[in-house]
Amino acid sequence: MKLSLRYPAVDPVLDLEGLELAESRRTVVFGPNGSGKTTLLRLLAGTIQGGPGWDAAYLPQTPHLFRGRIGWNLGLGLGAEQTVFAARLAERLGMGDRLWEPANRLSGGERQRIALARVLACPRRWVLLDEPLAPIDAEDRAAVARVIAEMIGDRGAVIITHDLETAAALGTHMAVLVGGRLRQQGLLGEVLSRPVDRRVASVVGVSNLWEGVGLIRSGGFASVQVGSVQIWGVGAVTKGLSSRVLFRGESVAVLGTGGSVGSVRNRWEGRIAEIRRGGRWVELRVEVGGATATAVITPGAMDEMELQVGSEVVAAVKASAVRLLSAG
Amino acid sequence: MEFLWEVVVEAVRSLTKADPELWTVIFLTLVVSVVSTLFGVVLGLPLGAVLALGRFRGRGVVRLAVSVGMGFPPVLAGLLLLLLFWRSGPFGDLGLIFTPAAMVVAQIVLATPIAAGVTAGSIRGLGAAAREQLAALPLGRIARGALAVREARAGVAAAVAACFGRVVAEVGAVLIVGGNIVGETRVLTTLIVEESRQARFGAAVAAGVILLSISMLVNIAVDRLGGPAA
Repeated sequence: MKLSLRYPAVDPVLDLEGLELAESRRTVVFGPNGSGKTTLLRLLAGTIQGGPGWDAAYLPQTPHLFRGRIGWNLGLGLGAEQTVFAARLAERLGMGDRLWEPANRLSGGERQRIALARVLACPRRWVLLDEPLAPIDAEDRAAVARVIAEMIGDRGAVIITHDLETAAALGTHMAVLVGGRLRQQGLLGEVLSRPVDRRVASVVGVSNLWEGVGLIRSGGFASVQVGSVQIWGVGAVTKGLSSRVLFRGESVAVLGTGGSVGSVRNRWEGRIAEIRRGGRWVELRVEVGGATATAVITPGAMDEMELQVGSEVVAAVKASAVRLLSAG
Repeated sequence: MEFLWEVVVEAVRSLTKADPELWTVIFLTLVVSVVSTLFGVVLGLPLGAVLALGRFRGRGVVRLAVSVGMGFPPVLAGLLLLLLFWRSGPFGDLGLIFTPAAMVVAQIVLATPIAAGVTAGSIRGLGAAAREQLAALPLGRIARGALAVREARAGVAAAVAACFGRVVAEVGAVLIVGGNIVGETRVLTTLIVEESRQARFGAAVAAGVILLSISMLVNIAVDRLGGPAA
């Protein structure tokens, strides 16, 4: 569905020409503060007038629980069966034994879990989430993200975030908003690794998002197979299940073949497929055994190494700079 | 000073005498005030919720009407209703003039805008997060309004108290449409007017003390009902 929204009542004016949102996608809307993300979601949800007002379950940025018991809040607007389902979700989110407590005693993260359970249990065609993981403790985010992704299922979703890991954990597509305007949209991995211009690059950064299969876990680290490449990183993966790998382009070092990389665990030999100069830095795309790693290096380093398309290089990333995320 | 002291002594004497006529006045005061407060709240709460949450054409006009109604001069309301209920007036056939029923109608007219205005204000005063969540929940209009009223219950309790406070203290409208007939339409406020006019200050003060006590008791009860503000 192509959407052309104009909403002049805010500053800056929200003007989204050609924003594509499809029911089979989970579109992450990314942008800095004040870029119009929340206004967009409120228009879609119909809590402010002037938008399409979809048939959607909507999690506001600051979910509110009303005075009463947690369990009662959980069932607001839901049928009996859905309430039971929401309670089961709340249990999976660690809130199972809290349902008889008064809602006003909850912390922000706990409130978020209850609100998430209620929204995800609501059988609507669209799921709209405003910063779903922001109030959740970092160590629990992966588990909560898994529940969210599973519960969205094949419904359409629009997810607002300004956190890369949240985007990588939940999205399939991405739209970047800056100053109330749509700057870029497309597949999540594409947008992350190929920002259209410097403004988008400064907002989103340049990152690599790979899809692979979980291999081994050892200590705090784990590895994922992507094509013929094995990559080590931080995070929980399940052996044999699909996983996502996220690392920033700045974390990728490019070396001449035969160079030593010391303690770095991830080192792959490859060829430079593309060079893109972006002013203050250079994006290099290095083909390494079925995957493409985008590296961001300084123009000086590139000239010194005399790199060009076709050059044989080694791309290296420290495992501690790689995030592994179980894909939903 | 002696004069005031005599008034106090006389007032205490009136209060301890337990005059059956005074009991009739107290009883009618309570009945008229409670019934009209109930109607005012039943009409005013939903109206207030609609004003605070609804989006409809003419909302501004209704809002203005409620604001004006909140401060509507009771004497004027009494006069308008007197004209309507006058024997040869449009509703003269109902025979309401100079009856407690007419007083109740007058009080409802005065109480409803207060209930609506205070309710709307307290719902509008809910935090932005609560308001966004109200709009976000998959609820019908009535359930949404009920949830808003429930959440704003401290303010709604204030609306009930304000309603009762207005009708129990009101004198102009009930005097005009009720006529202040002994044993029929005399209430505490009109009793005070009458006793003052007759220079029976002790009895007037006694009625005033009772009026104040009723008002206080009701406010305490309503405050309990509203629960803690947090």
